[in-house]
Amino acid sequence: MNKRVILALATAGLLSAPAFASGDKTAALAATCNNCHGTNGVSVGPSMPSIGGLPEAYLRTVMMQWKSGERYSATMSRLIKGYSDQQIADLAKYFAAKPWVPQPQPVDAKILAQGKAASERCTTCHGDTGSQPDDPAETPQIHGQWAKYMELEMMKYRDNAVAMPHRRMRGNTQRLKEEDVAAVAQYYAAQQK
Amino acid sequence: MNRFNRRDFLKVSAGASLLVPMAACAQTAPRAGGKKRVVVVGGGFGGATAAKYLKIGAPDYDVTLVERDKVFTSCPLSNEVISGEYPLSKLQVGYDGLIKRGINVVFDDATAVDPAKKTVRLKSGTTLNYDALVLSPGIDFNFAGIEGHSEAAANNELPHAYKAGPQTLLLHKQLAAMKDGGTFIITVPPGPFRCPPGPYERASQVAYYFKHKGMNKSKVLILDSNDSFSKIGLFQQAWKLQYPGMIEWVPGASGGKVVKVDAKTRTAYTDFDKFQGDVVNVIPPHHAGHIAKNTGLTNERGWCTVNMLTMESTVHPDIWVVGDSCVHGDLPVYGAPKSAHMANTQAKVAVGAIIAKLSGLPAPEPYFVNTCYSVTQPGYGFSVVHIYRVVDGKLVYATDAGGVSPVEAPAITRKLEAEYQVGWFKNIMADAFS
Ligand SMILES: Cc1cc2nc3c(=O)[nH]c(=O)nc-3n(C[C@H](O)[C@H](O)[C@H](O)COP(=O)(O)OP(=O)(O)OC[C@H]3O[C@@H](n4cnc5c(N)ncnc54)[C@H](O)[C@@H]3O)c2cc1C
Ligand code: HEC
Ligand code: HEC
Repeated sequence: MNKRVILALATAGLLSAPAFASGDKTAALAATCNNCHGTNGVSVGPSMPSIGGLPEAYLRTVMMQWKSGERYSATMSRLIKGYSDQQIADLAKYFAAKPWVPQPQPVDAKILAQGKAASERCTTCHGDTGSQPDDPAETPQIHGQWAKYMELEMMKYRDNAVAMPHRRMRGNTQRLKEEDVAAVAQYYAAQQK
Repeated sequence: MNRFNRRDFLKVSAGASLLVPMAACAQTAPRAGGKKRVVVVGGGFGGATAAKYLKIGAPDYDVTLVERDKVFTSCPLSNEVISGEYPLSKLQVGYDGLIKRGINVVFDDATAVDPAKKTVRLKSGTTLNYDALVLSPGIDFNFAGIEGHSEAAANNELPHAYKAGPQTLLLHKQLAAMKDGGTFIITVPPGPFRCPPGPYERASQVAYYFKHKGMNKSKVLILDSNDSFSKIGLFQQAWKLQYPGMIEWVPGASGGKVVKVDAKTRTAYTDFDKFQGDVVNVIPPHHAGHIAKNTGLTNERGWCTVNMLTMESTVHPDIWVVGDSCVHGDLPVYGAPKSAHMANTQAKVAVGAIIAKLSGLPAPEPYFVNTCYSVTQPGYGFSVVHIYRVVDGKLVYATDAGGVSPVEAPAITRKLEAEYQVGWFKNIMADAFS
C-alpha cells in the first residue's frame, strides 16, 4: 500500500470522516474476520491461514461447503452458518481483492530439500512453488502460506474421519510419507513467489 | 503534494479506510474548525482496537489513547502461565504499533469524566477535550463483596490473577510450591464475570500441572456461585478423560457460593461450610472499571448499559462503552460474553457509529461475533462461537449458527482447536495493537 498517497489524501481531507452508514457494508463485516485471520486477512498466527488475496471462487466455494456441511472444519463451519449466502459472496470478493502477502518463513536447508523432493506429486496442480495453481478457481496459491496451517490442513486431508470433499487432494496427501508432511508444508511456506 | 489519480484513490481508499464505504467519500464536505477529537480510555483489547480502527476509518481525526501501563499484559493464555506452559512475556505488548499509526498515546490515569463539558481529567492534571469518548477500562473488583477480603490479601495470600500480571506469576509460584496431596481452590463470583470459561479452563490447567508433575493425589476444588458454566459438557468430558477424580465442582445450589475468606489460614467459607486450601484463588465479584462507574454510567449491578446497536451509553450521549465494562446482553436468549474477542468486535462497531455520528449520518448495521477457545491440556481444545444479528431493529442471538464444539467429535477436532487458540491469540493481539 502506498503510504504517500494515503498521506496526501488524508491531508487533502478526502478520507476524512465519511460514514459507515452507506455503501460498503462488507468492510465492517470483514472486520469480524480479522480477529482470527489478521487485519486485511494477513495472518500473523501460524495456525491460522492468511485469506487476503486468495482466489474469489475458492473462497466462496470453501465457505459455502462449510455452510452446507459438506466440508469439515473445527471452528469455521459453526461461524459461517451465521452469514447469508450474499454476505459470503461479498466477503469472498472483498478478501480476494486484498493483496496476497507471503509470510517469510526461513527453513533449514535439509528440510527444504526434503520438502522439495516430496512436492513432486504436488506440482501438477500447485506449480513448482505453489504460486501457479493450474486452476485458481479450485486451487488456492500456497506459497508463503503458514507452514503450521498447511500441516494441519494436510492432517485433515489424511484423516478419513472428517469430510474434506476434494478427493484428489486427499489421495495425494495420503500417499505422502508421514515424515514428509511437515517438510513439504515448510517447503511451500518458504516460497515467496 | 504527491500526485494521485482516480485509480490510486480508489485502491488506497479501499485498502486504507477499511471500514469506510467509498460512496460516503463523495459526500464528505470540508469541515469548518479543527479536527474531530476522540479520546479512548483504556488500552486493552477494546480500547486499543478502537483507537486503531478509528485511525484507519478516519485518518484525520485526532485520536488520543489514555492508558495507565506502558506494557499491556493479556489475560487470554494467562491460565497457561499459571500452569507454567507459557511465559508471561509472550503475553505482553507495548504501544509502539499504535503510536506509529499516529495515535497520541498518553500514559496516565483518567480520573474523571465530565459528560456535560465533554472533558477527561488525567491524574497528571491535564484535561482532554473530546467530541467522542470511548471507555474500555475493563473491570475492577468489589473486594467488599466477600467478607474478610481486601486488595492487600489479593496481592499476597489470595490472588485473583483475573487481571494478568504480577498476580498471575504469584499464583504460579503458589502452585509450584504445593506438595502432592494438596488442594487448589478456585472461587467463582456470581455472573456476569470476565471470561465465562476462564475459571474452568484454569482448573484444567492446574490439574494438568498436577498430572504431569506426578502429583496425582492433589485436587482442584471449584467453589462456584453459579449453577452452570460455559462449555460445561465439554469441560466435564475433558475432566473425566484427562483428570478423573481430580477436579471437583461445587455449584451454587449445592452450597458453592463463597461469602467469606480468611487470608491467614487460607480458608474459604460458604453459608454452610468451610474449605481450607493450600492455594486459594479467590476471583472476587467485579464490575465496570472505576472510571465508568464514577462517571455514573453503570446500572445497579455495576455494568454500563449501552445502545445494543451502537455501543453508545444510554446514560450520557457521546460516550461509547465497549469491552468488559458494558452489559451488552439484556438479550432474551444470550448476552454477549465478556471476552477479548467480543471487546474487539464491539470496538469496531463503536468506531463505525462514532464516525457516522460525527459526520451527521445514521449508524451503520453492526456485526457482532464472539469466539472463545479453551485448552484443557496441551493439544486438547474446544471453543464456543456466538453470532448476533439485527432483526427488526433489535439485536438477537443467532440460534441457527455458532454454539459450542460438538461433544462427540473426531479426535482431530480437539487437536486443531488447541492449535487455533494460539493462532487466534497472535492475530487478535496484532489486530488490536499493531
Ligand atoms: C484468565 C483469563 C483468561 C481469558 N481468556 C480469554 C480468551 O481466551 N479469549 C477471550 O476472548 N477473552 C479471554 N479473557 C477475557 C479478556 O481478557 C477480557 O474480556 C478483555 O481483556 C476485555 O477487554 P477490555 O478492553 O474491556 O479490558 P482490558 O483488556 O482489561 O483493558 C482495560 C485497560 O484499561 C486500562 N485502564 C482502566 N482504567 C483506566 C483509567 N482510569 N485510566 C487509564 N487506563 C485505565 C487498564 O490498565 C487496561 O489496560 C480472559 C480473561 C481472563 C481473566
Ligand atoms: C474464531 C476464529 C475465526 C474467525 C473469527 C474466522 N475464521 Fe476463518 N478460519 C479459522 C480457522 C481456524 C481456519 C482454519 C481452517 C479450518 O478451520 O478449516 C479458518 C479458515 C478459513 C478459510 C479457509 C482458508 C483456506 O486457505 O482454505 C476461509 C476462506 C475463512 N476462514 C474465511 C473467514 C471469513 C470470511 C471470516 C469472517 C466472516 C472468518 N474466516 C472468521 C478461524 C476463524
Ligand atoms: C490433483 C491436483 C492436486 C494435487 C496433485 C495436490 N493438490 Fe493440494 N490442493 C488441490 C486443490 C484443488 C486444493 C483445494 C482443495 C479443497 O477445496 O479442499 C488443494 C489444497 C491444498 C492445501 C490447502 C490450502 C489451503 O489454503 O487450505 C494444501 C496445503 C495443499 N493442497 C498441499 C498439497 C501438497 C503438499 C500436495 C502434494 C503432496 C498437493 N497439495 C497435491 C489440488 C491438488
